[in-house]
Amino acid sequence: MTLSIIDWLIMLVYFAFVLGIGFALKRYMRTSNDFFLAGRSIPAWVCGLAFISANLGAQEVIGMGASGAKYGIITSHFYWIGAIPAMVFVGVFMMPFYYGSKARSVPEYLRLRFDEKTRAVNAISFAVMTVFSSGISMYAMALLIQTLGLFHGLMPEAWIFHVSILLSAIIVLGYIFLGGLTSAIYNEVLQFFLIVAGFLPLVWVGLRNVGGWQGIKHQLPVSMVHSWRGMGHANTNPLGVEWVGLAMGLGFVLSFGYWCTDFLVIQRAMAAESQDSARRVPLIAAVPKMFFPFLVILPGLIAVSITSGMRTDVPIASSRRSAPAIGGVVAGAAAGDAVAKLGSKTDAGQVVQDEHPHGLIPPKTDPISGRPVLDSAGQPVYNYDLAIPAMLLHFFPTGILGLGLTALLASFMSGMAGNVTAFNTVWTYDIYQSYINKRGTDEHYLWMGRMATVGGILLSIAAAYAVTSFNNILDSLQLIFSLVNAPLFATFLLGMFWKRTTGHGAFSGLIAGTLGALVHHGLTLPVDAVPGIHGGWIAVVHRYPSDMAQNFWTAIFAFTINLVVTIAVSLLTKPRPEPELVGLVYSLTPKPADQHLTWYQKPGTLAIAVLAVLVMLNLVFA
Amino acid sequence: MGLDIRIPLGLIFLITGAILSVFGVFTRHSAIYSKSMGINLNLIWGSLMFVFGLVMFLVGRRQRWQDDPAPPRPWERAESQSPNRH
Repeated sequence: MTLSIIDWLIMLVYFAFVLGIGFALKRYMRTSNDFFLAGRSIPAWVCGLAFISANLGAQEVIGMGASGAKYGIITSHFYWIGAIPAMVFVGVFMMPFYYGSKARSVPEYLRLRFDEKTRAVNAISFAVMTVFSSGISMYAMALLIQTLGLFHGLMPEAWIFHVSILLSAIIVLGYIFLGGLTSAIYNEVLQFFLIVAGFLPLVWVGLRNVGGWQGIKHQLPVSMVHSWRGMGHANTNPLGVEWVGLAMGLGFVLSFGYWCTDFLVIQRAMAAESQDSARRVPLIAAVPKMFFPFLVILPGLIAVSITSGMRTDVPIASSRRSAPAIGGVVAGAAAGDAVAKLGSKTDAGQVVQDEHPHGLIPPKTDPISGRPVLDSAGQPVYNYDLAIPAMLLHFFPTGILGLGLTALLASFMSGMAGNVTAFNTVWTYDIYQSYINKRGTDEHYLWMGRMATVGGILLSIAAAYAVTSFNNILDSLQLIFSLVNAPLFATFLLGMFWKRTTGHGAFSGLIAGTLGALVHHGLTLPVDAVPGIHGGWIAVVHRYPSDMAQNFWTAIFAFTINLVVTIAVSLLTKPRPEPELVGLVYSLTPKPADQHLTWYQKPGTLAIAVLAVLVMLNLVFA
Repeated sequence: MGLDIRIPLGLIFLITGAILSVFGVFTRHSAIYSKSMGINLNLIWGSLMFVFGLVMFLVGRRQRWQDDPAPPRPWERAESQSPNRH
């Protein structure tokens, strides 16, 4: 692929602004509070856009496009079931405790509500996961740049991967080092608008090409254009999950576990200027989030709707490195994790019918021999991860192509930066200040935050190369993420809504939940997998119809075990005196007053509006 | 924070929109638009982005960034008089 000077110019303008914002904000970083919490002074709409942007890493864009191309509109469950209800819940019910308790991070809330050991478990596991997630983001970006041949001709092929890693590291380091969380949030807002500006014309032209939604419906199999058809049984829908597993596993445990407890997103809401604003942040974020399927999943559907035979004119440079699915590297996010499993099914995905259309999707080629990769049946394997990049190259003329690629790069960077800012805060407040140096000055912690940013980026680079060197490390990481995340929500739910919950209860519940998830994983296996990293390493007691079903049910088991153990141990141990829990537990905290807000500013109104639109979207695409 | 996000946001859309529209004007009848089904995406989308950028920039300039409720710290009193801060 060759880019013209105009395309480069647009990308350059973007990078200049990204760093420029960091420089402009540098002088406002006076205290650690400014650096880690943006001085708690950001308006709700800005935090709201950052809230979804931080989660909208390119793995998500790439992964959602890929599974849209592969499974169809059913992918929208990851938004409509797997995000919106949880976002509404965290805004209406949980934010008053996060924001009102004056905790500076989610682990710190656990410290206030429970005890030191519960915080330590959460802080350390979270810090490790953010570093790996950011590294995986970096790796995926470098891989995509290499696959697209973005720097083709500018430097020796062998350098491209390393240069991409280094460049992204330097840019993200630059703007966070200078402007802290504020800089990350501002850039996330920029990225949000660029992603919309880059993808909207793609959907527009794409839809015109295939004759609108009716055209897609006409072109694709019925199962790809309905989101609820066949959900009654796992064998009758492309995801291989029945509706109970979907609603409980994805819609409740995984999604609430991510959106309501993950500091990466909660940090954005904690930066809001007041408690009222903080409660509105996830609700405001839910509005664009609901419509994101049209921006990221629809291009995937369009890509396969375009009548085949046109794909030969999409020049995708073959990459030197063997390329595991980019969509298979979504990390950190529990819900995203399920998506990852979706994306990584490329090699085995047999639920897909034989007559599955391929449209623009290029076949996978072996990077060394240059020959197409064939599956065991001798059929070519298609690289669904390239659905969106292939769409960009197919429809965008030079000029706006630069904008589309900028949007893609922007989404990679926002995913990385979100992890880095969450890491530097948890490291400084919850690990360094708590266990290493308790009596530093504020200035010292500000300095430590900057150092943690540098350290976090260096560790991410190491993680990116680790992923490059060991082929199955991605699968193992995803497994660890899901095992750690799965039980989390039970701890927060009980902690916030049951005053009897004790620190010992929360701690043992968390540990038991993770162990339970591990055992469940060891005892079950997806139908088409062999015992090992995909499960069944103790004994195969049960086989799930798909790895997604296994993932959802692992989460359900982990959550239930955590819930039961926490309740049991709490009943056996001594609760904290009630006055200590005011502001931390629902029944002991005065309801947040919202009489001073006009009706449309009230979180309740917003929540009802969001849920009403959600129901409508589900009905339209059922 | 003393910087209204709408100003850089407006500026980046103004600049990108301007680059795209100007390029679109010069390539009006070019064959490159056969890719986008004959639609001059650069001109149309570029000018839309330009208008969006202009609105954001003007709103950002007009409205005071009111969300810096923390009073200046004692050691910053002198600095807060400087013209840079709203």
